[in-house]
Amino acid sequence: MLCNECGKNEANVHLTHIINGKKTESHLCEECAKKNQAILNSNFSMENLFSVMLNNSFNNKTYLPAAKSCTNCGMTYENFRNTGKFGCSHCIDSFKGRLKPVIKSIQGYDRHIGKIPKRAGGDYKIQMDIERLKNDLKGAVEREEYELAAELRDKINDLENKKGDEQFGK
Amino acid sequence: MENNDIAITSRIRLARNLKNHKFPINMTEAESNCIIQEINNAVNNHDKDYKLTYMKELSDVKKNSLIENHIISPALANKSDEGAFLLSPDQKTSVMINEEDHIRIQTIEDGLSLKECWKICNEVDDVIEENVDYAFDRELGYITACPTNIGTGMRASVMLHLPALSITNQIDKLLYGVSQLGVAVRGVYGEGTKSIGHLYQISNQGTLGASEETLIDKINQIVMQIIDKEKNTREHLFKNNYDELEDDFYRAYGLLTNARKITVDEAMKLLSLIKLGSEMGITPMVKGKNIYQLMIWIQPNNISTIEAELSPKERNKKRAEIIRRELLR
Repeated sequence: MLCNECGKNEANVHLTHIINGKKTESHLCEECAKKNQAILNSNFSMENLFSVMLNNSFNNKTYLPAAKSCTNCGMTYENFRNTGKFGCSHCIDSFKGRLKPVIKSIQGYDRHIGKIPKRAGGDYKIQMDIERLKNDLKGAVEREEYELAAELRDKINDLENKKGDEQFGK
Repeated sequence: MENNDIAITSRIRLARNLKNHKFPINMTEAESNCIIQEINNAVNNHDKDYKLTYMKELSDVKKNSLIENHIISPALANKSDEGAFLLSPDQKTSVMINEEDHIRIQTIEDGLSLKECWKICNEVDDVIEENVDYAFDRELGYITACPTNIGTGMRASVMLHLPALSITNQIDKLLYGVSQLGVAVRGVYGEGTKSIGHLYQISNQGTLGASEETLIDKINQIVMQIIDKEKNTREHLFKNNYDELEDDFYRAYGLLTNARKITVDEAMKLLSLIKLGSEMGITPMVKGKNIYQLMIWIQPNNISTIEAELSPKERNKKRAEIIRRELLR
């Protein structure tokens, strides 16, 4: 018997499907059976879907240009868009222009507002704390809570001193 | 009926990477060994007593058994040359090294306890950071190998046992509903979203643009609603379908305490029923037994680690024996 699908090879995979009580039989060659199996086992993981989006964004000319490869680890963006994985922590800088819209579309946001590490965050963590306190201070003044405002002002000064003269960098 | 009967365990996982090192996808074996040493030192310098295990030391059965116990991920098990993990003495916290990211810190606690898990993970995270330089971007947060984890690098998940919602065919509707809220749902054992033993895992989809606390609150709120729905359905079943349920539960108990061989699928289905029966006060003889623990023990590789490697046939016999022993004890 020849394969139902391609009609060329000998059928050696025999399948019986029962869908809603209706029985159908199919006889396939090994190659066509494999193809069918692959369709049924599609990979819908987030990583896989993401990598497809990434591919589209790199083909889209409206996004900002990005470097051809990462200056640190040499990962090319062809490679990156195929795997959807960065090669090192510097890849993100190299590909940022094109990456940000994609990140926004999968994450819904493009700005981190969670934990800031002490060392890696450095003065940035202090700066964010100062901004939060300044905001509180504004509220305190508006509500005429001057005692609280004075306390907040002292805290802000303390943090400003901690920051040191160094330009807070990455 | 306790909330912890329905929300069985909670888990927080943090993804972290070191600055100026290639990511695992790109590493040589020598580089991966450096990372393992560096992280082992960083964790254990702080009078923590985490045990280091290399993936290459382990047999496939042992690896799969660690996966069944939720101590390591399948992705780490595949890193037989580069992977390793650190495990806390209470076995609740593990630090996976060179999985997809350099570091994956995870803590599992009983019940609905994401905040407690976050506290522990956060502390381990701080301890590690005292000795290593993390890859961090001011705009995008913690840099992870895959952009789907970027930002907080945090995945918060809760394992739920939802038999009443499942047997009343409400589960698909519910799972579709919560997936609209940016929450991912999957079966715990079994492939894809197919669940055996009515166990489901709920976790946050996005990792960027919200603080860790906000992400945890959101999962907590959704889980509390699901728990309420499961409880209401159980009450409804108790009032309207008592006879059928009682029969189902006693049949399940009868099979489990008499079977001489049993597959994992059948066992999971029946154990889920007697767990429900016990929580609804219908099968008192199961009360006080940790059925969830038994569900883990009877997974194929966990059974094989008890004795030398067993064939599937021998496993089915061993599984039936373990279940009889535990239930009749």
